[in-house]
Amino acid sequence: MSDHPDTLIAALVDDLRPAAPLYQSRGMAYAVLALLAGAALVTGILGMRPDFAAGRPAALPVIAAGIFLVLALSSASAAIAMARPAVGARRDGWGWTALMAAVLPAGALFLAVQDGMSGLVQAFAPAGLYCLALGSAASVLSAAALIIWLRRGAPSSPPRAGLLVGVAAGSAGVFATSLWCQHDGLPHIGIWHGLTVIVGGIAGRTLLPRLLAW
Amino acid sequence: MIADEATLTRLTGLAQRGDRQAYAAMLSASRSWLLRYFRRKVPPDQIEDLVQDTLLSVHRKLASYDPERPVIPWLAAIARYRFVDHLRQVYRHAAAAVDDGINIATDDEPALSARLSLDRLFEALPGAQCQAIELVKIEGLSIAEASASTGQSESLIKVNIHRGLKRLAALIERA
Repeated sequence: MSDHPDTLIAALVDDLRPAAPLYQSRGMAYAVLALLAGAALVTGILGMRPDFAAGRPAALPVIAAGIFLVLALSSASAAIAMARPAVGARRDGWGWTALMAAVLPAGALFLAVQDGMSGLVQAFAPAGLYCLALGSAASVLSAAALIIWLRRGAPSSPPRAGLLVGVAAGSAGVFATSLWCQHDGLPHIGIWHGLTVIVGGIAGRTLLPRLLAW
Repeated sequence: MIADEATLTRLTGLAQRGDRQAYAAMLSASRSWLLRYFRRKVPPDQIEDLVQDTLLSVHRKLASYDPERPVIPWLAAIARYRFVDHLRQVYRHAAAAVDDGINIATDDEPALSARLSLDRLFEALPGAQCQAIELVKIEGLSIAEASASTGQSESLIKVNIHRGLKRLAALIERA
């Protein structure tokens, strides 16, 4: 049964407290801080790749780390924007970045298949599981920052917001892992680092909507 | 009270800063806008509940308004979210009523309203999809029973349910 409209409005007015707007720049600052904290934890505990530490990085690892960093920032930006709903707003730019990042696992699979069974065995070597686990663990801070932000806001599609949080956090985690990971080859980077983002996206899409509903 | 969008935008910005007088005017104007918005979407007896739910969401999520942007797209997004949530509850309620063996046509007024909302959505679906969803998802028939009842093959029933539900979801999102 509804209250009388005037009664409800009076009660809401009585309960009014100043509400600081959820500015995009502030949300991004939290996301970047969480990403840097994850990277600092990984390199602080496990150390940094010697070539990165020496300032002379190998080409593929630094390019891949850069791609995952851009994907983390673009999907985090899209997730943060979802805290402020508006009919007609389009936030699909992150998809192009995701497509760009997908070149890494696609290229890795192509090379692995070209090399036959030995290539596939090498690409899916279980040693990569460590990067998957580390990347997922390193993504927790980023995921927490984005979830807290979105719960303050009003994401109009919790499943989509969950997917974006998962992709952003997974990419941030794999960026942190890339600073330590000793592998230089595309099969490992494409498959296992790419898989971390995919697992993050699936986890976010399936587990987070209930947390982000309002 | 009907406020123009510029006034409503200004009032919402003031409300965010804690101005109670502006907030009261903003809520009244929003209420008028929401009454018009929901009038075309739900049966009359559900409008007031939906408007009040939306006003509560506006109150809880006031920080999500960006004071540098027009207010109506924000208000419409919150209203649409509450409307989708309302339809979800209505659908669950209707399904539960069928599961419990309640005669929704005579005994249960909310369930009847639920069916009215669903029927409005079903009008936008092709007949075969509507029939498949109705028989399997609402009346609880098995795929085989629905197939025998409609003359559609079992795989066609599954395809029609899948396509119909996808189309309904798109309709709700656009609403």
